[in-house]
Amino acid sequence: MSLRGLVKHFDTRLAVTGVSLEVPAGSFFGLLGPNGAGKTTTLSMAVGLLRPDQGQAFLLGYDVWADPPAAKARLGVLPDGVRLFDRLTGPELLAYHGLLRGMDATTVDQRARELLEVLELGAGNRTLVVDYSAGMKKKIGLACALLHAPRLLVLDEPFEAVDPVSAALIRDILQRYVAGGGTVVFSSHVMEVVERLCDHVAIMSDGVLRMHGPLDQVRGDRSLEDVFVQVVGGRVATGSELAWL
Amino acid sequence: MTVWPFVRLKLRLTANGLRGRPARIVLFVMGALVAGFFAIAGYSSFAVPGVLNSSFGAELTLPLGGAALVLGWLFLPLIFFGVDESLDPARFALLPLTRRTLIAGVFTAAMVGLPALATLAATAGMVDTAARLGGPAAALAQVVGVLLGLFLCVAVSRAVTSAFATALRSRRSRDLAAIMLALLAAAIGPLQLIALAGAQRADWDTVASVARVVAWTPLGAPYSIGLDVAAGHTWQIPLKLLIAVAAITALLWWWSRTIESAMVGTASAARRKTAPTTRNPVELLLFRRVPRTRFGALMSRELRYWWRDPKRRANLITFSMVSLFLPVSATVSAGSPASMSLLVGTLAALALANQFGFDGSAYAANITSGVPGRTELTSRTAAHAVYTLPVLLVGAVLVGVLSADPARIPSTLGLLLAAYGVGLGLVLPLSVRAAYALPESPNPFAMSSGGGATKGLLALAVLLAAVLVSLPVQLIALFIGPIWLWIGLPVGVAYGIAGFLIGSGVAADQLDRRMPELLATITPNR
Repeated sequence: MSLRGLVKHFDTRLAVTGVSLEVPAGSFFGLLGPNGAGKTTTLSMAVGLLRPDQGQAFLLGYDVWADPPAAKARLGVLPDGVRLFDRLTGPELLAYHGLLRGMDATTVDQRARELLEVLELGAGNRTLVVDYSAGMKKKIGLACALLHAPRLLVLDEPFEAVDPVSAALIRDILQRYVAGGGTVVFSSHVMEVVERLCDHVAIMSDGVLRMHGPLDQVRGDRSLEDVFVQVVGGRVATGSELAWL
Repeated sequence: MTVWPFVRLKLRLTANGLRGRPARIVLFVMGALVAGFFAIAGYSSFAVPGVLNSSFGAELTLPLGGAALVLGWLFLPLIFFGVDESLDPARFALLPLTRRTLIAGVFTAAMVGLPALATLAATAGMVDTAARLGGPAAALAQVVGVLLGLFLCVAVSRAVTSAFATALRSRRSRDLAAIMLALLAAAIGPLQLIALAGAQRADWDTVASVARVVAWTPLGAPYSIGLDVAAGHTWQIPLKLLIAVAAITALLWWWSRTIESAMVGTASAARRKTAPTTRNPVELLLFRRVPRTRFGALMSRELRYWWRDPKRRANLITFSMVSLFLPVSATVSAGSPASMSLLVGTLAALALANQFGFDGSAYAANITSGVPGRTELTSRTAAHAVYTLPVLLVGAVLVGVLSADPARIPSTLGLLLAAYGVGLGLVLPLSVRAAYALPESPNPFAMSSGGGATKGLLALAVLLAAVLVSLPVQLIALFIGPIWLWIGLPVGVAYGIAGFLIGSGVAADQLDRRMPELLATITPNR
């Protein structure tokens, strides 16, 4: 994935100011940033959900905004804060995504069952996705993104609201996926997860890319959290306020 | 704790909704103009009996007109406009407010809005009439009556929409609620027939006796108080005040009950345990005989959504009832079946006017899978047609049977299909260009502020355009005489298909270019 000078305004506010980023193929890439840093906006522009005011996005060499079908066919996305078609049941939703991607019905059935079993959502579960818990929704969303075996996965906050056991499971799936040659880009503000998984990281704040590169290079000999706090700024301790608390 | 914070909150929300959005401001101004027109027209017609010094006229106009207003407040939100849920009581669930404060606040805030202001201004004409007929005392009594009437109108619309929303939400009672909604919609028809019949015969004594009865029901009681003062029936006044106040209190009590169950209900609603299934995922999604392709998946999802999404289901049910009732009332009252077909066919297509708004941000899935615009639109239309075409067929058969002229069935169906096709041709491009976000509220009648006006104006524009575009077919039907009975169906179908193809072509092209922009407009602000 390669982003070149992406810019996005909302009304008069500058949400993302010229983000350029190279994600090497086969890497496990973590995009870090505080709330409101522009992570979701950047990823939305990268996958074709939000039209940038300026700049280009290439996925596996295909220009997302000039040749959307070619780029999207090789891409799996888990957006954050976006609803699923949640009045379908889990199996129905997976079948929908599979057929939408032009897969044949037998493959869809086989893969959907396997994903539902592995993610412990139950292949015969007839609960509507709208009645799922937050963690289950994340898992079914991830299953939808994985179903067509894309070469590139873009995940926005994949570990939010997920319980520790499921998080470990998702980590395992993603590590296997990268070991098999896939590329994962995900956003998070949980340092431990990023430090444990990623080989490349980038830190954003206020719509600007502050630092990026291989994890060891960015981190140096400090912890990632120290680097993050220093780069992003902001206070981490209270002074004399809140004495009433 | 007074109600003013609620009113200020409502005003602030309205103002923030308009800020920096020229399109919203235009809509708001147009809504204000329509409301102003309604207010002036209402005021003048209610003031006429006073100017003419006709107490008989006043005894007809005030109770009946007032009752019509209350019924309008009851039905219009359910069928056409929805309710402005910017002050959804459920949002106050965590604040330490007593139920009494909450209800009083939300109720007062509901009265700060164009419809309520227009109603108040229109009914002020009644005060004018009462003053001319009975002097200051009557005018004062009528002021009280008009205010009570306004409270009644607002209370009835809130209580009923909220009760329906609660009923539609729980799986157990939703079928019952659907039937009740259908009956309510169907009740408009007979009322219209009775009114028409009365007016046609100019049988004023019958109307007067109806008016006398209505004046003793909650619908008309508040509006007839001033006249009782004028006529010297002072003993009636406390009774009528009691009727009105009791009705308002009962409605508010009912409302507060449904609000309370809505606040806690979503958390405690018993989930139906379904037995696990062993069928394959694709089989579960697709209906039989639907192709196992992208088109089939899109169409099957739409088919399921029209039934599973309460917003869509409410839409579907009201349309079915209206479209079965219009033909019947048009035939019985010897109205024009051609204009009826036009209305019903276009109404059917109008359900798709905000088809992407129904999906909300979930539509992102279709964008990231790269669904082409043409497939998207044809599959959605196909799914909608599966529900609509049978209804249109039944409507045509009803017309034929009721007018004792079964030979008319094919040609009527032809007109209906022509109007449906043309309506689709107009609505599909609109659904891409003029989509708007629906609030993520469990109330299927909820609209974001300004949404109701958008919906109403769009519907009006489409209806006018459909009249123009299907004029040729209408003229042919009118002038070629009996041959129309034979060629009506094929001509209508061909015309409808042509309209659909042109419109969907334009819309598909726009959709291919505007998918991200469309997603941005239908994503509700978080």
